[in-house]
Amino acid sequence: MRAVNTSPPAGHQVSRASSPHEYHARGWNLVWREVAAFTTGAFGSLVTREFLTIAVPLLLLWELLPRLGVVPKTLVPPLTTVAASAWDLVQHGHLAQHIVASLKRLAIGLSLALLLAFPLGVLMGWNPYLRKHLLPLFQLLAPIPPPAWVPITIIVLGVGWRMQTFLIFLGAFYPILFNTYQGVKDTDPRYLASARVFGASEWTLIRAVYIPHALGSVVMGIKIGIAMALVMLVIAEMYGTQIGVGRLLSESKEYFRIERMVVCMAILGALGWFLIEIMKYLEAKLALWRVGR
Amino acid sequence: MIEARRITKFFSVVNAHQIAAGVTAVLSASLTIEDGQFISLVGASGCGKSTFLEILAGLQAPTDGEVYIDGKLVLEPLPSTRREMDAYREKYRFLSPIANGLIRDNPKHDIAMIFQDYAVFPWMTVQQNVLFTLELRGVPRAERAPLAQRYLQQVGLLGSEDKYPSQLSGGMRQRLALARALSVEPKIILMDEPFAAVDAITREKLQDDLLRLWQDTGRTIVMVTHDLDEALYLSDAIVVFSPLPGTIRNRLPVEVPRPRRRDSAELAELRARIQAIYHYDMHGESEYVG
Repeated sequence: MRAVNTSPPAGHQVSRASSPHEYHARGWNLVWREVAAFTTGAFGSLVTREFLTIAVPLLLLWELLPRLGVVPKTLVPPLTTVAASAWDLVQHGHLAQHIVASLKRLAIGLSLALLLAFPLGVLMGWNPYLRKHLLPLFQLLAPIPPPAWVPITIIVLGVGWRMQTFLIFLGAFYPILFNTYQGVKDTDPRYLASARVFGASEWTLIRAVYIPHALGSVVMGIKIGIAMALVMLVIAEMYGTQIGVGRLLSESKEYFRIERMVVCMAILGALGWFLIEIMKYLEAKLALWRVGR
Repeated sequence: MIEARRITKFFSVVNAHQIAAGVTAVLSASLTIEDGQFISLVGASGCGKSTFLEILAGLQAPTDGEVYIDGKLVLEPLPSTRREMDAYREKYRFLSPIANGLIRDNPKHDIAMIFQDYAVFPWMTVQQNVLFTLELRGVPRAERAPLAQRYLQQVGLLGSEDKYPSQLSGGMRQRLALARALSVEPKIILMDEPFAAVDAITREKLQDDLLRLWQDTGRTIVMVTHDLDEALYLSDAIVVFSPLPGTIRNRLPVEVPRPRRRDSAELAELRARIQAIYHYDMHGESEYVG
């Protein structure tokens, strides 16, 4: 929500954009300004005084409790040890490559899920006839926990990138589908009526009424999808790959290198946090009319 | 010309004890509205006048009866037997009967409607709202912006084009709804309690604006209201609805020359007559003598 609060110019930007007399950022200026707004929005919530009063003591405890021997140092590595291990991984362990590989898988899986789930959700929310045909199928399939798909996926698709992509896709698909569907279906009938009186065709209704109205829940679905995709990433990378953050995690487990496990967990957490911050930012951008209220 | 022939609307509802019960919202209401007239539908709240207006607009199918706008049927009535109902469901299984077709924007009738709670799109700015209705009526892209400016100016919204409806006051939102309705140059404007949610001073100003627009352009206006003074001040004729089941109780022409004064004696007399009708409907006794 910080992304929302720190960008009060959101409302003004619009009025600026269409008025020819005032300054209107273009090209790299615009990109730069957007990136700056995103960064302050995303990291701003981490460096507030309120949050630091919680975070700093926690980090201190993490460092001091193992060092003072309150908890066994072998089981809970202190913060500095973890940081050193992370630095070591960056220098000698090709950490960047691991992260890039995981990000690629996430990106492909998530985009596939979005490309398929979004149109399907819109269609099911829009038309009762299609809904009656399709919805029960997904409602029957969705409760199967995604990890339960792992064995059969390995048998059918083999170990490799196809299996990994499919598992990540599966994790993100249902949350996006159901949230899109629900958002479209819950479109206020008054808006539909008013568009219909003026002659809107069904396609125009989908484009200009249903989808803008459902945007909030679509983004919510994507956020849940990102979380599920991360779960499936860790599971998928246990099989058939040498590279990836999830792979690094299970490898560290085998060698019992706890500080490396913690590094991997921190990276996965940061990844999820960052992706969700991007979604929040997009949400604030797309649903400007909500922010301006 | 709008012709409503014996419109009946029946709703089946389930009451608190899970027992099916029926409500007849409108019962056999017939009404003819000539071109260029300003007609008000008045009545107590919940007497079916809004439902009647939505049936005129083609947003609800009547249970029985037909509405013709310039001789063209608005919506076929709902079927009455089980077999007809099955056929009706089969016919409209993919698109609902009130849909305007799949791809092409194509208004069925030359009407515009202003809703009680405005129903302007909150995700579009003031200008985008007007541009959208212009687009629906097939106005070429290049002509839309100047036209939108003109209609926004007509209702006094210039300077707020880039605001979102949530940033506007109730009165301004109402003006936006009016601009949106005017922008399509409809022959008929239907209004559902358009000024119910604005304060008294703004309301009088909006009423005068509306009256001026109506006199300048000669459109047909059908307005639902529960404000008797508003109806008396504005309309050519007042159609009085009686409470459930909603039927047309009376149609009173307001033959007071314009410009009218809100506090004129003739209007006060008419007002007393309508109130006597209300009173009779509520209590079943007549106070009206004369």
